[in-house]
Amino acid sequence: MIAVRSRGSRALVALGLMAVFLVAFPFVMPLIGGDVSLATRVLVLGLFGLGVDLIFGFTGLLSFGQAAFFGTGAVVTAYLLREHLVPNTLVGLALGTVAAAIAGIVVGSQSLRQVGVYFAMLTIAFSQLFFFLENAPLKAFTGGESGLPNVPRAAIPLGFTTLDFSSALGTYAFIAIFFFLSYMLMRRIIASPYGAVLGAILENPERAAAVGHDVLRYKLIAFTIAAAYAGLAGGLLGVFQGFVGPDAFSIDQSGQIIVMTVIGGAGTLVGPLVGAFIWLFLQSSLQSVDALAGVWKLILGIVFVLLITGFRRGVVGGIITFLRRRKKPLEADIATDAA
Amino acid sequence: MPDFQLIAAQLLNGVALGSILALVALGLTIIFGLLGFVNFAHGALFTIGAYAGWLTYTKTGSFVAGIGAALVSCFIVGIVIERILIRLYYHRPKEDQILVTFGLSIVLVEIMRAIFTGKSQLLSTPSWGSGVVNLAGIFYPQYRLEVIAIVGVTLVVIYFLIYKTRIGLVVRAGIDDALIVNILGIDVKRTFLLVFALGAALAGLSGIIDGPLLAVNPDMGTDVLIQSFVVIVIGGVGSFGGAVLGGLIAGEIISIATVFVPDYAQVLLYVAMAAVLILRPQGLLGVEGRA
Repeated sequence: MIAVRSRGSRALVALGLMAVFLVAFPFVMPLIGGDVSLATRVLVLGLFGLGVDLIFGFTGLLSFGQAAFFGTGAVVTAYLLREHLVPNTLVGLALGTVAAAIAGIVVGSQSLRQVGVYFAMLTIAFSQLFFFLENAPLKAFTGGESGLPNVPRAAIPLGFTTLDFSSALGTYAFIAIFFFLSYMLMRRIIASPYGAVLGAILENPERAAAVGHDVLRYKLIAFTIAAAYAGLAGGLLGVFQGFVGPDAFSIDQSGQIIVMTVIGGAGTLVGPLVGAFIWLFLQSSLQSVDALAGVWKLILGIVFVLLITGFRRGVVGGIITFLRRRKKPLEADIATDAA
Repeated sequence: MPDFQLIAAQLLNGVALGSILALVALGLTIIFGLLGFVNFAHGALFTIGAYAGWLTYTKTGSFVAGIGAALVSCFIVGIVIERILIRLYYHRPKEDQILVTFGLSIVLVEIMRAIFTGKSQLLSTPSWGSGVVNLAGIFYPQYRLEVIAIVGVTLVVIYFLIYKTRIGLVVRAGIDDALIVNILGIDVKRTFLLVFALGAALAGLSGIIDGPLLAVNPDMGTDVLIQSFVVIVIGGVGSFGGAVLGGLIAGEIISIATVFVPDYAQVLLYVAMAAVLILRPQGLLGVEGRA
């Protein structure tokens, strides 16, 4: 009983800290050389990374094709909003998320039958299929290589008035609310019995199957949730940028989100957010230094290789390990005292 | 309706494109077969080969020297990265191996960009390949026929190396059971190194001979790498014949579809891959349980 209550209060503390961070973030960013739009971008990619973390960090599925779902959500949402086919931004985002989830079911049901290297290659190939579909046959809807410009900003008409989020800070707030809700939901998913089975699959898929779990079904559900998160993030990207280009579907986009998640710390829910911050912040600050403008990606690449080689759990994972190690003696003391 | 000549020329283009894809895929599949390792940096090695060849060719005027430079530089880069990084990963999870080679490819590509800038360089066809050949009324660029010939010869050499020599015997035994080969007193580690470097050299060779057909730039390897993944999935992982057959199928799909349904040329390639996966998951020439 005590354990349950302490877990609940820990969750409240985590959510409270996240809320405080989200409120402070756009105001702290200018102090360290960033701006509100950089903060917004960090949240969009952090949200995208939450899904990647669910399948990679918590389930062990390394997909290199997440851009397919990011792009699908982005294009569907942007198209619906531009053509005024939906009454407000929320409906556009919801439909984009659903479209991405459906794409996730289709790709997942084909690629999850394979594991490891084969799975990674298949996800790349499927995302290329999406990229080329978007680029040529569907260009009437997607704008092809030139993309979709003039995506309307976030606005929710309520009848008597319209909630308008079109300012930079307004867009940030709009996206921060989505981030917070998605973060909360992901925490619940991870903590649920369903999340526990994903943990069992991560540790040992054969054992999870042997005790009677339908591993493929669990993986497919996780993959679909990740696709939905990617789709929502893609939709928000369009609303934030006012533009959706074919690069949302690109293999670079898929690789980048993996790199961010791993740098930040796969298997920790704040890892992707931290990774997105590190990547985007270093990119913008290194690019502003003339001597380093051409090599920012090289530096991040080297950091990435070193992290995987020596520091597998990323920045956040490393901090947690460090704190636990420091806390251990204290906890032992308390336990001794209690006894 | 496109005329016969055009289709015949596109069929040949398909063979030329397919033979290059086969060569890239062969390097990948040899490394995968022995080391159980998919090298996501293979596309970056392709790019290094193209740059080394381009640099040597522009400095010396000899395309053959360029080919030599591509082979040697990628062989050396292969040795260096295997010694420094790859060998740390032989016993780590597949996901880590993918991540580290992916990270390595970012590093290698960005080094190329830092040295040569992101600008596309033109690699002109060698003097012995700049003409046009009359094939029964079809005028066809000579260089593409030579590409097919170079790849053909290379494939035969690699085939003999793997299936008819002592080293090849060790490699094939290592693919079956590296532990037993090691117990028999053969240094498998050294064979691993050799195979990795050989695979890298094949990527470099593909890069230089594909150079005149593409533009040389830091990102040229990405598409080729992904297409060669498709080739491997179609042909079957770890299969020599699969790499060649898959390469030719992929090359023909792209070339023929470009004439009839240009918008769908790339799409059809991935549709073909999906079809193979559904109907024959181990690939056309793959052996079941060997993935």
